Amino acid sequence: MTAGLDEPQRVAPAWLLSNEVGLCPCGCIGKRKKGSFVSKTLAGASGMLRQAMFSEDAAAEPGLLQRVDPRVKLVSLLGLLVVTAFLRSVPALVTMYGVTLLLAVASLLPLGFFVKRVWLFIPLFTGIVVLPATLNVITPGPIVVPLGTWFGHELGVTSTGLHAAAIIVVRVATSISLVVLLTLTTPWNRLLAALRSLFVPKIFVLVLGMAYRYVFQLLGSVTDMYMARRSRTVDPGVDLASGRKFVAASAGALFGKTHALSEEVYMAMVSRGYDGNARTLRPPRLRAFDAVWVVIAIAGAMVAVGVDRAFG
Amino acid sequence: MPSADRADVLLECVDLHYRYLGRFPALDGVSLTVHRGEKVALLGANGCGKSTLLKLLDGLLFADLGTYRAFGELITEDSLEDEQASRGFRSRVGFVFQNADAQVFSPTVREEIAFGPLNMGLATSEVEQRVDDTLRMLGIEELADRAPYQLSGGEKKRVAIASVLVMNPELLLFDEPTAALDPRTQQWLIELIVELNRAGKTIVLATHDLDTLHLLADRCVVFTEEHRLAAEGAPGDLLADRDLLLAANLVHVHSHIHDRDLHSHPHDAGHHDAPSPANETEAAATDVR
Repeated sequence: MTAGLDEPQRVAPAWLLSNEVGLCPCGCIGKRKKGSFVSKTLAGASGMLRQAMFSEDAAAEPGLLQRVDPRVKLVSLLGLLVVTAFLRSVPALVTMYGVTLLLAVASLLPLGFFVKRVWLFIPLFTGIVVLPATLNVITPGPIVVPLGTWFGHELGVTSTGLHAAAIIVVRVATSISLVVLLTLTTPWNRLLAALRSLFVPKIFVLVLGMAYRYVFQLLGSVTDMYMARRSRTVDPGVDLASGRKFVAASAGALFGKTHALSEEVYMAMVSRGYDGNARTLRPPRLRAFDAVWVVIAIAGAMVAVGVDRAFG
Repeated sequence: MPSADRADVLLECVDLHYRYLGRFPALDGVSLTVHRGEKVALLGANGCGKSTLLKLLDGLLFADLGTYRAFGELITEDSLEDEQASRGFRSRVGFVFQNADAQVFSPTVREEIAFGPLNMGLATSEVEQRVDDTLRMLGIEELADRAPYQLSGGEKKRVAIASVLVMNPELLLFDEPTAALDPRTQQWLIELIVELNRAGKTIVLATHDLDTLHLLADRCVVFTEEHRLAAEGAPGDLLADRDLLLAANLVHVHSHIHDRDLHSHPHDAGHHDAPSPANETEAAATDVR
């Protein structure tokens, strides 16, 4: 007797053979509830994928910075970043910020998106940090906006405080703009290659590259897990406790999956001769256009330094 | 074994035993010989040990008991620690994993394909030439600078195969090559495997797809669910042995094989008898091909 012939007979239970009573047979008359924090978090996570896709598209545009070799771009934008850090006057920093806007336009980046991406986070992070520095208790000086008294002392925003805050805010905005210019105009893989040729350890770059590659894989797994849960969730109400349980369970399951995947990836690497030494393709040769870009970058920096001297 | 045959032996496994974590058996006394230029299919149900055997053949896992020789050399964890031996073995054996996501780990397709030859120590110019040739051969030139997350399942499979073929291995191991692929990619892959074999490559593949067996293999090895080998022979002979296929969980009691085609017929839960020749003819007559 074979295993196949020994197979037990399956008999479906009666409840499975009759139709379930519909929970809402008469249309959408139920109470509406907002989604849980889990769905919002996952929506944010899928936004990351959209963002990555957008960055890849932007990096493929035939703009100015896209044509520059990533190594040259990395070094030159780092140079501009250093110059920005040393500028001491607001006009000079504004000039430098203007240079970044010009570069964004020349690189065919949507200007509105570029500005929004930079300024969206500045009030949130820098603004909160800088706000106390505008007060006379932190930065003494002539009060331009009186705020009343505090324990018998006059409290207000000082002009020197505002100046210091403006310097920090514009400096941060310009620095972020330079970094955004680099990341939006350089495909991730070419940025990694640039890091490799600039003496960042190859193994570090390899791990970084793999981490970025598998983030999308794991993001897909999390989304699948959530979809599977959602498709079996009858009551869509906001239940924080079950949401937390789901997040904890998914994290555990994901950890297991990651472990299994990492073992398989390692085997795939060993199978193709990996012996612990990261080897990479030769970086492309530099072109004349890269020299033109270097001249443009130096000119931009010199203009900003000149303005700084004039107003500093 | 005659000496001419002996010289032709590429792989030789003798009484291999392997347990995952020392507890869960995956191979229980498996012996297998593969000759140069053969197409060998490992057949068996899920979890019977096919993939484990492929990993052993690729020197990624090592048997708890038993010996494995490849190209006349004993393959052990110790022997592969020798840099030269390891490089020689890795360049002669290519393994296409079932899960293409595990195999395509580099930031771009081009870097993925270059990974193997770079590790073989080839000159960068030769690596670049090989990568371009392989991209062209598999018709994936337009994917060269794409990231893996931008590829479909079929494209990832092509990239995984390219990443192995670029090393020009003598022996190619495929784990469930046609699983989860659309019909066109499946057909493309089958034709590629046949072509590679004609070009002199030895093929060992794990599958439970009996429909394409006559194309993919000229010899089959059947695993039992107890992780042992049950039978060995030509695809036609094994497919004719219904009892063997049922015992190995390769066909269902309601599956029928007409010539080379395997069919499954829906049935009422109350009728689980083994088909008699009479009802098999009836089933064949109503079969939608």
